[in-house]
Amino acid sequence: MIEVKEVSKQFGTITAVRDLTFRVEEGEVYGLLGENGAGKTTTMRMMATILTPTSGDIEISGFSVRHEPLEVRRRIGILFGGEVGLYSRLTARENIAYFGSLYGLTSSRVQQRIDSLSRILEMESFIDRRVGAFSRGMKQKVAIARTLVHDPDVILLDEPTTGLDVTAATIFRRMVARLQEEGKTILFSSHNMGEINKLCKRVALIHKGKLRFSGGLDALRKQFGTDDLDDIFMAVVEGGKL
Amino acid sequence: MGWQVIWIVLKKELLDLFRDRKAWLGTFLVPLVIIPFVFFLLGNSYSNVEKEAREYVPLAVHGSSRLIALLQENPGVKLLQPADPEQALQAGQLRAIITIPESFDEQIQAGKTAKLHVAFDSTNSKSVYARDLIEQTIERYSKEIVAKRLKQAGLSEQAIQPITPDFQNVASEERQSGGMLAGFIPLMLVVSLASGGIASANDLVAGEKERGTLESLLTAPIAANHILTAKLLAVMVMSIMSAGASLISVSLVMSVGPFGGAGDHFSLAFFSPVTLLVLIVVILLMAATFAGLELMLSTIAKTFKEGQTYMSGVIFLAMVPSYMLMPQSPVDIAEHYYALPVFNGVALCKEVFYGKVDPVHALVGIGSSLVYVAITIFFASRLFRREGAGLKN
Repeated sequence: MIEVKEVSKQFGTITAVRDLTFRVEEGEVYGLLGENGAGKTTTMRMMATILTPTSGDIEISGFSVRHEPLEVRRRIGILFGGEVGLYSRLTARENIAYFGSLYGLTSSRVQQRIDSLSRILEMESFIDRRVGAFSRGMKQKVAIARTLVHDPDVILLDEPTTGLDVTAATIFRRMVARLQEEGKTILFSSHNMGEINKLCKRVALIHKGKLRFSGGLDALRKQFGTDDLDDIFMAVVEGGKL
Repeated sequence: MGWQVIWIVLKKELLDLFRDRKAWLGTFLVPLVIIPFVFFLLGNSYSNVEKEAREYVPLAVHGSSRLIALLQENPGVKLLQPADPEQALQAGQLRAIITIPESFDEQIQAGKTAKLHVAFDSTNSKSVYARDLIEQTIERYSKEIVAKRLKQAGLSEQAIQPITPDFQNVASEERQSGGMLAGFIPLMLVVSLASGGIASANDLVAGEKERGTLESLLTAPIAANHILTAKLLAVMVMSIMSAGASLISVSLVMSVGPFGGAGDHFSLAFFSPVTLLVLIVVILLMAATFAGLELMLSTIAKTFKEGQTYMSGVIFLAMVPSYMLMPQSPVDIAEHYYALPVFNGVALCKEVFYGKVDPVHALVGIGSSLVYVAITIFFASRLFRREGAGLKN
């Protein structure tokens, strides 16, 4: 469970996130919507304890990011979009194993998890090759495996399909559906309304760091009087009805 | 758990660095390729010039004397008569011009002092060699004349040589060998310790920040200080490997290189268990100081390129104390240098290579180095733990 409580984040005179409040229930796939620069990544970074909220707090599985950052980190897996942050001179297996051992997994457990994840993500053919020469889709698969190696309860996905081709994006969405079946709590940030529509039932919509809507997608459609999520998104961005 | 995490991160950092061509180049290029290359190039060039200077000594002589016959006894001496001797000397075709006055031999026979004019070019080392050869020949001829004059006066040679000094060099062969090394080894050692870790330190923080790997690493349930400690140790390993390669490289150059004379006296016998221990401690502390400083700069930098710009200052910091103390013997080094950063390491290195380490100097040098290591690591840690330090933007 993720609980965001009146969180604000300020960088000098710039307020990146202002009084953000929403709640993601256990086992739910929740969408965090907003255009580029809306404050999604800053919110994710605060959840991952890389940034500290200027005010307010976030609780993940009952632990405060402000006061118990190590406990929070033990329970989350985070995947960043765009630059996936892999060690290009290490093999896919070495990349995943490194993070597994940092989460305190035994080497046999790490290998077990790598075997299982490489089967699910269809990585067997390149698992022992160095990551440097991989395509964007291959790298993203390795990054997903690294995020899930310690079997976290809460998974944070920050624009995870950025730069992926249709096939890779579809494999990724199937993976998210599978994780939901396993009862994982997932926060999925995106500016792609179609993707959010396929994966989430509830969303938080933020614009210029402020929460503009939180609740079910049906309620959002009803409030705007249209089924077209792209139109709703544009209305928010251009300062429409909301 | 802390040391376990440090070990996991350190193992990964070293594996990553050992597969990085840039890190290998930064660590081993200077000590294993550039140093021997420069030594061989310098050595060969000196020995070639010396050989050419001995083999062919073209001289022009105006006038006549028995001295000319003595000069011609020297191997390589050739007497030439160019149309314009002054221009030939400037052009390097002649090494010297000797002008002998008409009454030269008569004045000598009359028991007087005869004057002789020798023109040479001090900017041409072959001309300087010819000047030395002429001077030695004149000295030989003068001794011959003096002996004849003394005999005519009924005196023995002892009459003009009342004292025969017997100079004894108290420096042992080990110390002479160490003294020779103490001039340039501290310079090479300190520069290798500073330069050997630059590429690694830059890659491990600024590079990781740029590639986004540091952000992922900071989401793992481990303390930032443990990550920094592992990175510091990895940079130290690369620095020490570079310094070790420098020492091996110099030893090889000194023993098998073109410096034949230096090689004959080359010995590591000035190392005793105590001096060796001091050298190891000094190397470790200097490696830690440079690694802390380099990680600090790498943390400030947003990109690898920015990091490279900052790092150039580290080499400067290593070179200034080394060059300043290079010509000094340990007995001439002022006490306060043993408490100044980097200077203390260079000064102690010199004592090690002279085979005698002053316990007070060792205590002050090592103690102050520990303080500097603590300061650099403290600031590196503060910067590294700063919010957003691992983020590119």
